[in-house]
Amino acid sequence: MLPESQKLIEKKRLKSLPELERPLTVRLKFRKIGSLQYISHLDLQRTFNRVIVRACLPVWYTKGFNPHAKLVFSTPLSVGAQSVCEYLDIRIDREMSCEEIKERLNGELTNELFITDAYIPKNDFSEIAWASYDMEIYTDGADDEMAKNAQALLTSSPLMLVKRTKSGEKEVDIIPMISSVSVSFDDERQTLKIKCVLSASSTEYLNPEMLITALKQNLGVMSGDPALEWYTIMRTDLMKKDMSEFK
Amino acid sequence: MNKQISTILKSVSKPGRYSGGEYGQIIKDKSKVKARFAFCFPDTYEIGMSNLGVRILYGVLNKEEDVWCERVYDPWIDMQEKMREHGLPLCACESGDPISEFDMIGFTLQYEMSYTNVLNMLELAGLPLYAKDRDDSMPIIIGGGPCAYNAEPVADFFDLFNIGEGEEMLPELCRLYIKMKDEGRYTKQAYLHEAARTIEGIYVPSFYDVTYNDDGTINAYTPIYDDIPKQVKKRIMTDMDKAYFPDKVVMPYIETVHDRVMLEVYRGCIRGCRFCQAGMIYRPVREKTPEVLNEQAKCLYQATGYDEISLTSLSISDYTQLEELTDMLLEWTNDNMVSLSLPSLRVDSFTKELMDKIATVRSSSLTFAPEAGTQRLRDVINKNVKEDDLLRAVNVAFEAGKNTVKLYFMSGLPTETYEDLKGIADLASHVIDAYYQCPTRNKGKKPQVTISVSCFIPKPFTPFQWEAQDTMEMLAEKQEYLGSQITDRKIRYTHHDARVSRIEAVLARGDRRLAPALALACKEGFAFDAWDECFDYDKWLSVLERCGIDPAFYANRAFGLDEVLPWDIIDCGVSKEFFLRERAKAYGERTTPNCREQCSGCGANKMGGERTCCPKAKN
Repeated sequence: MLPESQKLIEKKRLKSLPELERPLTVRLKFRKIGSLQYISHLDLQRTFNRVIVRACLPVWYTKGFNPHAKLVFSTPLSVGAQSVCEYLDIRIDREMSCEEIKERLNGELTNELFITDAYIPKNDFSEIAWASYDMEIYTDGADDEMAKNAQALLTSSPLMLVKRTKSGEKEVDIIPMISSVSVSFDDERQTLKIKCVLSASSTEYLNPEMLITALKQNLGVMSGDPALEWYTIMRTDLMKKDMSEFK
Repeated sequence: MNKQISTILKSVSKPGRYSGGEYGQIIKDKSKVKARFAFCFPDTYEIGMSNLGVRILYGVLNKEEDVWCERVYDPWIDMQEKMREHGLPLCACESGDPISEFDMIGFTLQYEMSYTNVLNMLELAGLPLYAKDRDDSMPIIIGGGPCAYNAEPVADFFDLFNIGEGEEMLPELCRLYIKMKDEGRYTKQAYLHEAARTIEGIYVPSFYDVTYNDDGTINAYTPIYDDIPKQVKKRIMTDMDKAYFPDKVVMPYIETVHDRVMLEVYRGCIRGCRFCQAGMIYRPVREKTPEVLNEQAKCLYQATGYDEISLTSLSISDYTQLEELTDMLLEWTNDNMVSLSLPSLRVDSFTKELMDKIATVRSSSLTFAPEAGTQRLRDVINKNVKEDDLLRAVNVAFEAGKNTVKLYFMSGLPTETYEDLKGIADLASHVIDAYYQCPTRNKGKKPQVTISVSCFIPKPFTPFQWEAQDTMEMLAEKQEYLGSQITDRKIRYTHHDARVSRIEAVLARGDRRLAPALALACKEGFAFDAWDECFDYDKWLSVLERCGIDPAFYANRAFGLDEVLPWDIIDCGVSKEFFLRERAKAYGERTTPNCREQCSGCGANKMGGERTCCPKAKN
């Protein structure tokens, strides 16, 4: 009836791992898809705190009054968007290979929240400037014509939209925050497909949901039967200012 | 995930409650299971996911290879609207399948105010509310939990109830179901009869006819079969060390009410406070050993990654080996940055040594429950706590630099006078005085005492089960009077909504004649009545009135001592004679020693049990 507390013993074994001179930062690349798209950034942070305990990682704890593991996430993802390129930096204070860290974490995760890579980071999160997205919209009236109109709408400045910021709501032109966009009609799936690259820096961030809003407001997309229409957003990559790979 | 649901979730509040996919959830192959069980918690995900009983029973049922138990919660109002708009039925978390397709649906009845949610969920599932309207092709609807001890107000909606602890009963019910299906002799009626006949603790309400007297009281309960029990006896787990323990937990991604390890230390309570139902129905006291608890705590810590362990039970300081247990736990919790918390501390057991061990002290506030303002009334309710105990306890806290204390009281207790209410205000002042007399107090801060006063609700299976609840007018006057007695701004006074307490009293002591009112409430969209923003007293009065029900008959009437009570059909292990004796002692302002000091012959020892404090516990 009582399972031997195997992992706690393993925890003790961690103490036999060689100590590092100073804490080492390891970057985790993970996907957050399916059900996990509805989990907020704050909840994701708490989840990782627990996952790290379960995985018995030699994480470095802050030395303050309330010791906690230091977790730093890259550009937050809004609720309702999926991603295959989220990043999290953790710090460890004992030797463990990136491969082992990845394996241990994945043992405590599900397919929808899954570490795809672990490595020693080369870039700083502040270097992130662009994010690419794939979107798919199933709506009444989707056809080549609508795709053309959408393409025109998303490429001609100004396209004014209300943006909610910390200081309140204001109207902004979103076109300068769109680096590239291409809208097509998928005949087989009867959907609109959008591929785009949007601003994703800490100072200028365009929520991909805004593109959907623009299409709703200007082209009447998704104004039919709510029980039939749907859309999905998938973040596919994060890039530096010169569009080179973020690592 | 279904694209339609996916889009709905983009437009509702806290969609993480509906998306599922949690780590630790149990997924089985539909084609290989023989019974699918939907375990419903009739409230929000955040509350339901925190319930220890659900965690245990989810594990117990899924241990059966051919049974798949899934979780279901009541969607919040905005989600319900979307579901109706899209024509979506209530679905289970794991598979996303409609629960109307399941073999069995179980509801845990934790509080009376969740009854409307039960009906709301049946309605969302597209199932007929009344048991008699559900045919053999529909799921069996099962109720359990503390409110099942008097579930008469909802009896007409359920096929059967589990009375007592469900760890053995639920798997037995599933096994019987599978067996009868396999043998091709399943009909709902045959199944219910066999369950009532062969499984202890099963109450099938439709098998008992109820007749009433001219004055509205109950005349008799008559079983319709000779081979079913005349009174249904509750089930307990006798050896808690051997009781199933969930070593895997479904981990919520979103924040829930109790986001921590909950370690169940023992069941039952030695105290016998005369208003407390939990203290009676969970008897006898059955402890786990510290060695087993320590192993279970380690296991849960590793399975969850939580950074807090809460030792749960009705009164944690009454655990005989608390010292040993906390020492064992602290040996590894500190190293792993895990903190301990001990809710439900009694003032007479709160010591500096204990405070140093626990995390409750990290938060700046401490909570105690003297329940009544004078020694006389505390003796009436058998609280067995003295003012000196409270002052000593707050002193320990003040010496350690705390400056805020929260005190829980009840208003409307039997024999209560305005003198007793004034006593509440006086007690709060004495706590303030104690602060200023404490030499090592935190001199930079002012003390803050919060007194929270709830309304007494007479509950079945307590010595006060016959008592009348104060009328709304009396409760309001008392609340106002107490408010007028508090002049010190360092004392904050809050009180419960008497209107909720009154409806709760009606449901707690109600009988089967309440069913039409609950069905009407469901039809009119009642849900989440335990939530202030959803509860509407006037609507409740209207529903009761239209069904010809006088709430005062159930809430404000003193039930006759020789009257047949709606819950007499259940044997909770504690005898009616004991409740009568305790009631007489209450009116005589006499206390009863706790179970450990002296046995007061409540009868629960007949249930048996390992590591109980009952001198004559049968094994």
